[in-house]
Amino acid sequence: MVLLPPTPAEIVALIIAIVTSHTFVTIVFFPGFIHLALIVIILTWYERKLLARIQLRIGPLYAGGPGGILQPMADGVKLIFKEVMIPYKANKPLFLGVPLMLVFLAALPFAVIPFGQNWVIANLDVGLIFVFAMTSLFPSMILLFAWASNSKYPFLGGLRSLFQQVAYEIPMWISALSVVMLAGSLNLMDIVYAQSKMWFIIPALLSFIVFFIAILAELERLPFDLPEAEPELVAGWFTESSGAIFMVIFMALYMKLYLMASLVTTLFLGGWWGPGPLPQPVWFIIKTLIVATFIIIPRGVYPRLRVDLLIKLGWTRLLIIAIANVFLTILLINSGILSSWGLP
Amino acid sequence: MALISIPPDITFIVLAVVTIIGSIIALQAKELIYGAVALAVSFIGIAGFFVFLDAPYLAMLQIAIYVGAIVVLILFTIMLVRREVMDELTDTPEHGEGTAGLWLAGLLAVAIAGVAALAGPDLPTQPKPADLRVSDLGPVLAIQYPIPLIILALLMSAALLGALVLAKLER
Repeated sequence: MVLLPPTPAEIVALIIAIVTSHTFVTIVFFPGFIHLALIVIILTWYERKLLARIQLRIGPLYAGGPGGILQPMADGVKLIFKEVMIPYKANKPLFLGVPLMLVFLAALPFAVIPFGQNWVIANLDVGLIFVFAMTSLFPSMILLFAWASNSKYPFLGGLRSLFQQVAYEIPMWISALSVVMLAGSLNLMDIVYAQSKMWFIIPALLSFIVFFIAILAELERLPFDLPEAEPELVAGWFTESSGAIFMVIFMALYMKLYLMASLVTTLFLGGWWGPGPLPQPVWFIIKTLIVATFIIIPRGVYPRLRVDLLIKLGWTRLLIIAIANVFLTILLINSGILSSWGLP
Repeated sequence: MALISIPPDITFIVLAVVTIIGSIIALQAKELIYGAVALAVSFIGIAGFFVFLDAPYLAMLQIAIYVGAIVVLILFTIMLVRREVMDELTDTPEHGEGTAGLWLAGLLAVAIAGVAALAGPDLPTQPKPADLRVSDLGPVLAIQYPIPLIILALLMSAALLGALVLAKLER
């Protein structure tokens, strides 16, 4: 048999088949790259507008398009065309490589977050642990970047970030444990299905509160933004970053914000479930943006916490509450009150 | 239908190369930071082996605990210890150490190859644990192996108490 070279029509048909396949669409368009990039742009704009409204700042009257929606694009163009300054004696490979790693680590967990029954890239059986494993790599990357900058403010910020993220990771994991016990699975899809009758925020209210405080610290948001405390450390661990490097780091940070908000939605707010004819991903994104709003609001409201209070809160309050909550959840499950909601 | 399928042999070889090169750099790197990064890469390679062996839960915990916690601890130690103290502690390799290491590695390889050759034909007949879910691990641990679990828990709490006592003594 002679193998004929493929005709142009066949190649076009193959390309169309690949581009329209579900795998390609989910990776590139909807829960994947393009959606994430758009969300990052929208979130930066949204945070500025929201904080301005909270603090009653009117700001400039003309700022690119209706409501200043073109401002993020202008920022992006500006940052791309700015010179990338690499500090003298900085560790070049780490200084340039770590920001890319940060974006990679922030984007990868979206592969397992279910945006709808069919809108998930990989339905992993260990999805929750996968998300936590990826986010647990953040502190080491931040410390590496801080060290690579070879400057004292980034280094102090990196050490603070490490302290904080390691301290608040443990309450975060343990408070998610009660959700896992209620759903009986680590698969995020199964966790959402288990919330078809009742969202987990009701039976696991305490763990929701602990989880929310822990993710505020994980995201270095106020009142826990010690790693980038402006009055003391200039900009914390990314002080030396400039131009495109700064943009990449910012993208990673906002992607992580969106990741944590969508994790809260998945674990506690019923994922894609919602009344009415709206499609599932729309419900998911609406809920996630509401959670993101509540993550952003403290930045306009609260002062910064002191270092010792932060560590004390993490290790002696949140951890104890999280562990007590595990036993409370076991009691709830064994009492059988939850059986009317289809839970164990 | 998977768009791309990778043959298992190539996966194994790539993972093995990543793991071994990572661990060699971890031992040999002049700059300790690079050593720690290479150690993280080597741990991620081992996690890849766990995925390859159908144990994704173990792989994720490998990444979360070894890369997310232990490498962080190592980085932390490297950055907080003063340079002079570190240079005193790190000794230069003496003459003949490399040769001895090669001999040892060769002996180990021969031993493993011998064991594999003796047990070889029986290995593929082991039943493959089909579709083991994470939720099956709990009953196995709690019902089949309760005593090792309790002993492990005791060991952990002993280690934790020991760490607390050491931290108190230093003050």
